[in-house]
Amino acid sequence: MAAPMELFCWAGGWGLPSVDPDCLAVLTYARFTGAPLKVHRVTSPWRSPSGHLPALRTQDEGTISKPQQIITHLRKQKYNADYDLSATQSADTLAFVSLLEEKLLPVLIHTFWVDAKNYVEHTRKWYAETIPFPLNFFLPNAMHKRHLERLQLMWGDDYMEDEERLEKELYREARECLTLLSQRLGSQKFFFGDSPASLDALVFSRLAPLLKAKLPNGKLQQHLKSLQNLCNYCTSILSLYFPWDRGDPLTDAPRAAGTDGSEAEEDPHKWRKQLLSVLVGLVAMLGYAFLSGIVSIQRGSVGPAGRQPITLEEEEEEEEE
Amino acid sequence: MSLVAEAFVTQLAAAEPWPENAALYQQLKEEQILLSDNASSLAVQAFLQMCNLPIRVICRANAEYMSPSGKVPFIHVGNQVVSELGPIVQFVKAKGHSLSDGLDEVQKAEMKAYMELVNNMLLTAELYLQWCDDVTVEEITHPRYGSPYPWPLNRILSYQKQWEVRRKMKAIGWAGKTLEQVLEDVDQCCHALSQRLGTQPYFFNKQPTELDALVFGHLFTILTTQLITDELSEKVKNYSNLTAFCRRIEQQYFEGHDKDCSTIAARSSKKSLLR
Repeated sequence: MAAPMELFCWAGGWGLPSVDPDCLAVLTYARFTGAPLKVHRVTSPWRSPSGHLPALRTQDEGTISKPQQIITHLRKQKYNADYDLSATQSADTLAFVSLLEEKLLPVLIHTFWVDAKNYVEHTRKWYAETIPFPLNFFLPNAMHKRHLERLQLMWGDDYMEDEERLEKELYREARECLTLLSQRLGSQKFFFGDSPASLDALVFSRLAPLLKAKLPNGKLQQHLKSLQNLCNYCTSILSLYFPWDRGDPLTDAPRAAGTDGSEAEEDPHKWRKQLLSVLVGLVAMLGYAFLSGIVSIQRGSVGPAGRQPITLEEEEEEEEE
Repeated sequence: MSLVAEAFVTQLAAAEPWPENAALYQQLKEEQILLSDNASSLAVQAFLQMCNLPIRVICRANAEYMSPSGKVPFIHVGNQVVSELGPIVQFVKAKGHSLSDGLDEVQKAEMKAYMELVNNMLLTAELYLQWCDDVTVEEITHPRYGSPYPWPLNRILSYQKQWEVRRKMKAIGWAGKTLEQVLEDVDQCCHALSQRLGTQPYFFNKQPTELDALVFGHLFTILTTQLITDELSEKVKNYSNLTAFCRRIEQQYFEGHDKDCSTIAARSSKKSLLR
């Protein structure tokens, strides 16, 4: 508790403080418990001390990377959101967390990372724009492959090949999971009464990206939007606990004022990138010219191409004389 | 299957009553079957018993390969083959038998959540113990898994399966766990189940549901299977209401029923501890 802990997480976007569900879960839990965290919103996992996001850097225990371990660590530091829960409620938490992880999270990953239209038009675009050069060329693809492999191992190959069956059965179970969550929440403010618990952090982190992102292929999203109490639940947590850092200032404010603001913000980067590319081009051309002998530095003369007209003239002069 | 075909099949399923010669396939009981498969198979048997549907248990060495999804157990009813507890529950529901009709929406949500908890924690822990714990793998799993096949096929098959399971463990993040952490997770899971069960006879009211069948299948198998150490079964024994629950279901649904492969009471290679 003495030294502040530092949390590294993905940058915000789409109206959320962070776009990655795991990072969002840890952030939300920290906000619920009031843990003093210094949050670094980074745009690439290379900036984090462990190479993965989210990562919590603590004074005593090094860097912790798995979201569940981060939450356990915060709990050990006496930031416990589940303090008031009864034993049955704690048991229910465990059960609902398993339900989320088994039924909803894989389908979410599929919606964002594997579904062709969503991935190309939305997810990859956002990550490619946010991650700095040169990582933005290969990192989104690497993440896509990793998620695809994970889903293949979880679901088996026959699901991955048969798109229709996957859509029907797995998405149906995900929709059922959402409906079950909605029924369990009912008209309460949080899952266990009036104060939020770790289950709320997890549910929010899974639902919020699905609610806020503008997905081209959004069947699951539509189902979520039809469950009014879950939508209100997400928006109320956002407005209560993340009132000022919802998403990027880049995307939020300029969107209201027009596109000028965002262009002005991006302009310094744009100019720098253009300058850099021109410089690289020049260096490449000059390097090639030197190496292949078109241009060579010798004392006195301009170069072999320029030599001939001069010598011709000299010869003519000589001849004339 | 397209939607039309599936609706047609469901209609067919609903149309036929449950036949007398329905069969459940699993691996060989005494020599081959492993802890996790045994638990799943027992869960399905318990569920069908609770629905009062007769089933014969048939043991085949290649049951895993016969199954449409690659997982045991699977049931052969009429001319349809369905594997795993989830789809079997739905199939049985289509035939008009259901244990969870009397539950309200919130209870159904909780039931589904607890079933996922068992699958997520108990089943994965069993898989971890049998395929990722080196001692258990060498002494129990490899000899058992390939036992019906001659050398070198038995070694090849079991190494292949082990590689597959280890990849899956890595994908879900369990590869980095130690045995102590896995046992800790099992303890947490049993604690949650024990809390939920409380002093009731079954998890929901006085009637058993598929959750009871699933929990019974896993806990009973853990309690009665002899492994290298007793740590896993000790974790379950810590909770007296869970052991009483297993005993109650065994007495009510499995006493005096003859099965083809073997009855639960006649397990020779397993400790029968609930006596």
